[in-house]
Amino acid sequence: MGTNVYGFPLLSLIAYLPLIGAIILLFMKKEEEKKIMQTAFAVSIVTLAVSLLLIPGFDSTTSEMQFTEQHTWIPSLGVSYAFGIDGISLLLIVMTTIISSIAIVSSYTAINMRIKEYYVSILFLETGMLGVFMSMDFFLFYIFWEVMLVPMYFMIGIWGGGRRLYSAIKFFLYTLFGSLFMLLGILAVYFLNADPQYGSGQYTFSVLELQKMNLPLHPLQFWLFLAFFLGFAIKVPMFPFHTWLPDAHTDAPTAGSVLLAGVLLKMGTYGFVRFCLPMFPEASVYFMPYMAGLSLVGIVYGALVALAQKDIKRLVAYSSVSHLGFVMLGIFALNTHGITGGILQMVNHGVSTGALFLIVGMIYERRHTRLIADFGGLSSKMPIYSAVFAVTMFSSMGLPGLNGFVGEFLILVGAFEANKIYAGIAVIGIILGAAYMLWLFQRMMFGPLDKPENQKILDMNRREIAYMAPLIVFMFWIGLFPRPFIRVMEPAVEKIVQRLKGAGAMAKQESEEKSVEVISKNDKTVIAARIDPEKGMID
Amino acid sequence: MTPIMPDIQLIAIFPESILAIFACALFVMDPFIARDKKEQLGYFSLAGLCVSGVSTLFLWGKSISTFSGMIALDNYALFFKTLFLMISALIILMSIRYIKIERINLGEYYGLILFATIGMMFMPSATDLLSFYLSLELMSMSLYVLAAFMRKDPKSIEGGIKYFLTGVFSSGLILYGVAFLFGATGTTNLGEIAAFLQENGVTSSLSLIMAFVLLITGFGFKISAVPFHMWAPDVYEGSPTPVTAFLSAGSKAAAFSVMLRVFINAFALSSGNWWPVLWVIAVLTMTLGNLVALVQTNMKRLLAYSSIAHAGYLMIGLITASQIGYAAILIYLVGYVFMTLGAFTLIILLCSANMKGDQISDFKGLARTNPMLGLVFIIFALSLIGIPPSAGFVGKLYLFNSAIQGGFYWLAIIGILNSVVSLYYYFRVVQVMYMDEPNAGTVLSFSPTLKVALGITAFLTLFLGLYPEPIIKAAIDSVQIFL
Amino acid sequence: MTAQLLFFYFGGMAVAGAVVAVFTPNLVYSALSLLMTFIHIAGIYILLNAEFIAAVQIIVYAGAILVTYVFVLMLFNPEQEKRYFHKQYKIGAFLGAVVLFLMVFAGFKTEILSKGGPFTVEYVEEIGHTRAIGNALFTDFIFPFEIASFILLVAMFGAIILAGRGIKKPKGPGGRVDLSSRRKAKEAIVGER
Repeated sequence: MGTNVYGFPLLSLIAYLPLIGAIILLFMKKEEEKKIMQTAFAVSIVTLAVSLLLIPGFDSTTSEMQFTEQHTWIPSLGVSYAFGIDGISLLLIVMTTIISSIAIVSSYTAINMRIKEYYVSILFLETGMLGVFMSMDFFLFYIFWEVMLVPMYFMIGIWGGGRRLYSAIKFFLYTLFGSLFMLLGILAVYFLNADPQYGSGQYTFSVLELQKMNLPLHPLQFWLFLAFFLGFAIKVPMFPFHTWLPDAHTDAPTAGSVLLAGVLLKMGTYGFVRFCLPMFPEASVYFMPYMAGLSLVGIVYGALVALAQKDIKRLVAYSSVSHLGFVMLGIFALNTHGITGGILQMVNHGVSTGALFLIVGMIYERRHTRLIADFGGLSSKMPIYSAVFAVTMFSSMGLPGLNGFVGEFLILVGAFEANKIYAGIAVIGIILGAAYMLWLFQRMMFGPLDKPENQKILDMNRREIAYMAPLIVFMFWIGLFPRPFIRVMEPAVEKIVQRLKGAGAMAKQESEEKSVEVISKNDKTVIAARIDPEKGMID
Repeated sequence: MTPIMPDIQLIAIFPESILAIFACALFVMDPFIARDKKEQLGYFSLAGLCVSGVSTLFLWGKSISTFSGMIALDNYALFFKTLFLMISALIILMSIRYIKIERINLGEYYGLILFATIGMMFMPSATDLLSFYLSLELMSMSLYVLAAFMRKDPKSIEGGIKYFLTGVFSSGLILYGVAFLFGATGTTNLGEIAAFLQENGVTSSLSLIMAFVLLITGFGFKISAVPFHMWAPDVYEGSPTPVTAFLSAGSKAAAFSVMLRVFINAFALSSGNWWPVLWVIAVLTMTLGNLVALVQTNMKRLLAYSSIAHAGYLMIGLITASQIGYAAILIYLVGYVFMTLGAFTLIILLCSANMKGDQISDFKGLARTNPMLGLVFIIFALSLIGIPPSAGFVGKLYLFNSAIQGGFYWLAIIGILNSVVSLYYYFRVVQVMYMDEPNAGTVLSFSPTLKVALGITAFLTLFLGLYPEPIIKAAIDSVQIFL
Repeated sequence: MTAQLLFFYFGGMAVAGAVVAVFTPNLVYSALSLLMTFIHIAGIYILLNAEFIAAVQIIVYAGAILVTYVFVLMLFNPEQEKRYFHKQYKIGAFLGAVVLFLMVFAGFKTEILSKGGPFTVEYVEEIGHTRAIGNALFTDFIFPFEIASFILLVAMFGAIILAGRGIKKPKGPGGRVDLSSRRKAKEAIVGER
């Protein structure tokens, strides 16, 4: 099924190290605050180091799952304990460990109550996130997916600000709703696989087995795609399921927002790439126009609303909606450039939006306000901060030379290959993105330093520079030398695109056959119209 | 003429006989034990439960039908017997300190729990309409008395009377249904009824329909399905908390164990057309239970409504009427028992000399003064909602699995929507525990037995979520008799 | 023919007795009309050749249970009910009529497909009803018999626990109402609505 270079359960180690750290923390007394913080940071650095061990052992030429671990767990259900990664997950896992360490360090001064519980929650969250990216068995995947919700709920609810209780429970309810629909989809796929007509004839939850299934577009793939769609779209978040995001992001503590934006949102997009596209290729092709449409709405809507915000954090939250719209557009361009751009942009967004939230956090710690109107002319007092903010802002906007540009460029190429109109609308999103970011920067950093409270504001201290530095380095690295990152994911992306190409031909056939009988049905006439643009995609 | 003794194999009732001997011995010993040392009787009854439990485990794998077809001993019965013994053991562990605080420290309490257990243990073994009815009555009679045990508390008396009246009424309905069933088929033996129906193919004769309606109504009362649930909140709130836990876990599981046998055999559930009625009841039960729980301020009432909702989920297994559906009921019941008992243990912890401890506001800040309790409650809450990794999730997974495999998609969707709703009220309690300021003067009445009970329930809820294999295999094994 | 007439008489009087028992406000009248119901049901049993059960019906129901009821009534001397009809009698009457209709309809439309059992009239006439019951009860039906005895045991314990010896009054500051009479209990319950 896959290879394991080291012969050692490296993935399990990476996933459970934070959990072990959390358990160690549980036994420490809650008064030893410094020790707790240092232990937490040490654990996350160790996890980071171990995850870096994956890189040399990774073979970039094959699309097979690597570092696999497989043990039977619940034979009656067909559940196995299966971990494995490919290029896509590798990128996301390393990104997760890096961002988690940064998040932990950034919380040193931000959190000053119930410290032990806070760091236990972060470490728990890290285990959950890592497990999601590694799972090759749906039961296991679902466990990690759900487990993440509880520590995030606590982080928002206890250490957040504003309407934190409301935002926390809204986040939990919304996400659980989607996940449960995804569970139904998983169960349906599990059940259908046992039917020899569709699958291997056995009851199994193994992702690799289920990806080999052969389901007809109507009605099975249609509904299954929608079930999984609901679960992932809420997580991404796609319009119109995004309403939990602004509240959750704004009211979460800084590290919470960083992890939420940096990692949790990626799980939705990861889910689409890992599960929806390979398992339901015909449905993906079928739904592509709708998905692209929703993504475009997300891009433009997110950007427009961000433009209108008065709270910095809320502005960044809406910018996330816009950026992830880009990612989804890339993924659902259903071609190599688009998907590669989408995945790269996932990493980029983690880096740049994570950095943005950290920047907001820094200013909040100093001034305890996030209203843009309370700032102005800060660049004279905080030069380093301005520079870092500027680089981050440009990265988020997509300035060439920085990471955002590479991702956005690939996505635009992919979108253009799929449908020129999509690319056109997407460009509007880029322009708007530049607009709100530049305007934000100008309002905060330039202009007269008229608020008296801002006179004594301190610049970034050494710790803050230390944890922002890796992010800045990545912004330049991915922007100037993206080759290593793209090379890692190439085989996996190719595999998906091949499956989609095969499906595209079939779907075109099916919809041609159906076009005569469905012309009369209102909501399906759009298929007949879409056949032409789809021709452009199958080449 | 001399009567011919039928073939009676006493081994089939061996576990219950042991328990009966212990119960009678307990009543005899009771007057000789000093008033403040009654917990010795508690330990004595625990010993009885253990001995009975060991004998149950030794009997696994047997398949006997005895007492002229009234009692059968098979894996299905043994599965439930073991479950009931564990429930009773946990209840006794929970009660020892509680009944001292509430000043109902009587030896008869333990004796009645043992008798109720005996009744419950006979129920899954019953393969005859008469034997299940009488075992049901034995269990119910003991529970009526237990519900009203706190004689000086008007709420307890109210609960006891309500429980007694609705219980007797529903038993009467069940008996009427049994009479119709007997009239239609000429025999009270469930196996013979099933054979008769197969031969004559009369799955929709009018008296059979009447019998079904009456039986579903009667059993509906017992499992507090909607619209027969009205007694549950008041009875749960009024009874002493361990008795509430016993009612919620034990009597529900026992009622379901009987329902499976009766409905599958007497009404050919798998091939019949009974599911629309069950569907409506299940949906109403799930939905009403969850929606009304949203507004509760009393923890016991909240758990009462939540247990009503769980009865609704369990009925999904009855509706799908397949091997997976039946196994799902058994698996879910195991998880349900432990998570419910655990949640009630927390309420018992809060009961002390000057506080009843059953309001949600009594839980304020509990997780900050006692992080272990917070963690434990999160485990129970996750399990009750159905979030992994917990036994509740595995149970729900199986139930939804059976619904999808049976083609009941809407049922599955309604089930998950209800799970989302239930998140809100469980996490409201979590929120109160974690994010509110602690009440001054909250005294936790820990006792060693209570800690053991809490530990066992929390551990099993988590462990069975991560390693449910033995339970799943046992459940699938047990429902083979229905195929 | 005679049997039919007798059945209608016994049945009618039994129902009449039950109706009076439910509706009359005077509790002693209620108990005595219940007695009438019991005796006429015994009559129906005799029509069915079940003389043992008829005798037991009179001995146990009329002789033991009803006597206990009257005994309790004499001891506690409860007040008479003020109302003839319950507040929601219209709904009750409607539901009752619906259920009655369904029962009668079911009763008449049902085909009884089962064959008779081993206890035919001839068999019972031959060995006597008492002996037949005895045979059945101690061979085929011994299990329900024993369980029933347990139920009675539990009922006895229950009655003693709930209504029997006093428990020491709570010494400390109780959070709960300390009752000293039934009326206070009733008030407390009613007042909580």
